[in-house]
Amino acid sequence: METVVINLLNGIAYGMVLFLIAAGLSVILGLMGIVHLAHGAIFIAGGFVGLTIVKGTGSFLLAVLVGAVTSGLVGLIIERGFLRLLHKQELEQVLVTFGFVYIIGNLILWIWGAWPRAAFVPSYFAGSIAIMGSYFPIHRFAVIAIGAAICLGLWWLQEKTRIGAIIRAGMDNAEMVSGLGINLTPINIGTFFLGSFIAGGGCVIGVQLFGSIAHNDGVNMLLTAIAVCIIGGVGSVQGALVGALLIGIIDNFGRVYFPVMAPWTMYLLLILVLMVRPSGLLGRKL
Amino acid sequence: MLYKKYKRHVFRFAPVIIIGLLLTTLPTFTDLAIIGLFTKILIFALLVMSLDLLVGYTGLMAFGHAAFFGIGAYTTGILIKHYDILSFWLSAPAGVLMAVLAACIFGVIALRVSAIYFLLITLALGQLVFELANTSLGKLGALTGGSDGLGGIPYPEIGFSFSFSPNSFYYFTWVTFIICALLLYWITKSPFGYSLQGIRESEVRARALGYNTWLYRYIAFIIAGLFSGIAGVLYVHYNGFISPEGVGMGASGLLWLMLIIGGSGTLWGGFIGSGIILSLQYFISGFTPQRWPLILGVCFVGVIMSYRGGIMPQLNILWKRISHDGSP
Repeated sequence: METVVINLLNGIAYGMVLFLIAAGLSVILGLMGIVHLAHGAIFIAGGFVGLTIVKGTGSFLLAVLVGAVTSGLVGLIIERGFLRLLHKQELEQVLVTFGFVYIIGNLILWIWGAWPRAAFVPSYFAGSIAIMGSYFPIHRFAVIAIGAAICLGLWWLQEKTRIGAIIRAGMDNAEMVSGLGINLTPINIGTFFLGSFIAGGGCVIGVQLFGSIAHNDGVNMLLTAIAVCIIGGVGSVQGALVGALLIGIIDNFGRVYFPVMAPWTMYLLLILVLMVRPSGLLGRKL
Repeated sequence: MLYKKYKRHVFRFAPVIIIGLLLTTLPTFTDLAIIGLFTKILIFALLVMSLDLLVGYTGLMAFGHAAFFGIGAYTTGILIKHYDILSFWLSAPAGVLMAVLAACIFGVIALRVSAIYFLLITLALGQLVFELANTSLGKLGALTGGSDGLGGIPYPEIGFSFSFSPNSFYYFTWVTFIICALLLYWITKSPFGYSLQGIRESEVRARALGYNTWLYRYIAFIIAGLFSGIAGVLYVHYNGFISPEGVGMGASGLLWLMLIIGGSGTLWGGFIGSGIILSLQYFISGFTPQRWPLILGVCFVGVIMSYRGGIMPQLNILWKRISHDGSP
């Protein structure tokens, strides 16, 4: 029983990290129709910057902030400098972001070298709590709490504010929104920045779950995030959350009970969801 | 005069004939390294051309195309390595058949959605194949060699007590390439090929005309899987080694770059793109292997931002101009 609870908690913590990546990917895809393949690389870039800051200053909070801002800025550069010029050309946009996977990955390799960076746990998150006789680290609770808080904030932003209403309307019909005299450009910029910002911060917060990160981990994270988006449904915070938690939990139990199958459990779930509901569990209509 | 009558045709096919002659006589005037490079270029050209059938002609943005290549390569490799099926006439068709089978299954799953979601799902399915090849655990891991890859696969044994050398394998690849390329060309010029292009331009219209657009796309997907399976079988014999890196997202993206550089929807552009990228890789990896991905990424972004049409259409225009003004 206690192993089930511990695995469940681990799964939720992993799911929260996945949510932090997938939320940006999902809203960018839903609002602008861009499959942002460099999102995983941006996530890793934020983590590397954050871990360097924490090593230099020892301040975890500063590290999260700087990591997040770095990721946000990289995302902004890609959007303003390149994707903007390829408006409505979905395929070209995908390929440009794919080029940035190589560029960012290799730049990280150039700056920080090929060795994985060990994760950092601030002293106030150290230690663990006893649950039914086994121990669960506090920092993972912290990941769950932070993830839940961000999720709540994003949900509020999307469902209860004017900006959120514009975003939702933009997903349904961008031309009509523009026709009503609403300028979508700042919304697009903001979405891109916020999505990348959360991903970068999420990497600094969540890296302790993986133990370490390497320059080429971005691809794996990206693919998991894409699976989250497809399973949960593109374009909504709730969808990303449901998909992320499902994958997080299933992946964790898969690793414990079917270690051989573990790498593909995610893909099996993906195919299953696709066969039953191509638009994802909570997806908007495709 | 006879010459005048056929002048246009001579001019039209002159570049093809010249390139064909050059490639046929290649082993007489270059060293083994260049012959190896060109063998690889031909294999990847076939692969990119099969992708072009999907992208340029059918309008399907398939981002997991290296998966079928990998399935063909792995199946043949595993049969030779672990089951001692050495005859090319058994192991190669088995590899191609597995690729076709995978395309049949993946097609059913991926074609449930369209446009950008099709891209996402083919990407995920391709990565599923990558994970299958990458896992080191269990029976599958023992067969594929996991992340270390599968090595030690010799040149094909085609019987008649004939054994391949790099030169003769180059010719073998060249002949296979010609046959497959002509088949692909014939497919794109057949009524079926034109139907695909009609579906690409307007699916609604094609459906209104009574076409079963899903079936057409599905068949195109399977045909593309077939040819990439053939390329995979050739590659595993050429390289003697296949690893998960040759199967995953990076490999599929590289095919896309080749396609875009050559020009999608031109078929022969695949050959040009594969030639340019693989030659670049060959020469640049020589002195700065560490920075090759960076250069590749910059190529990607640069080509797409500034030169989206690809080289092949430009060459076509240039050649038309030359042959119409035609001096002699």
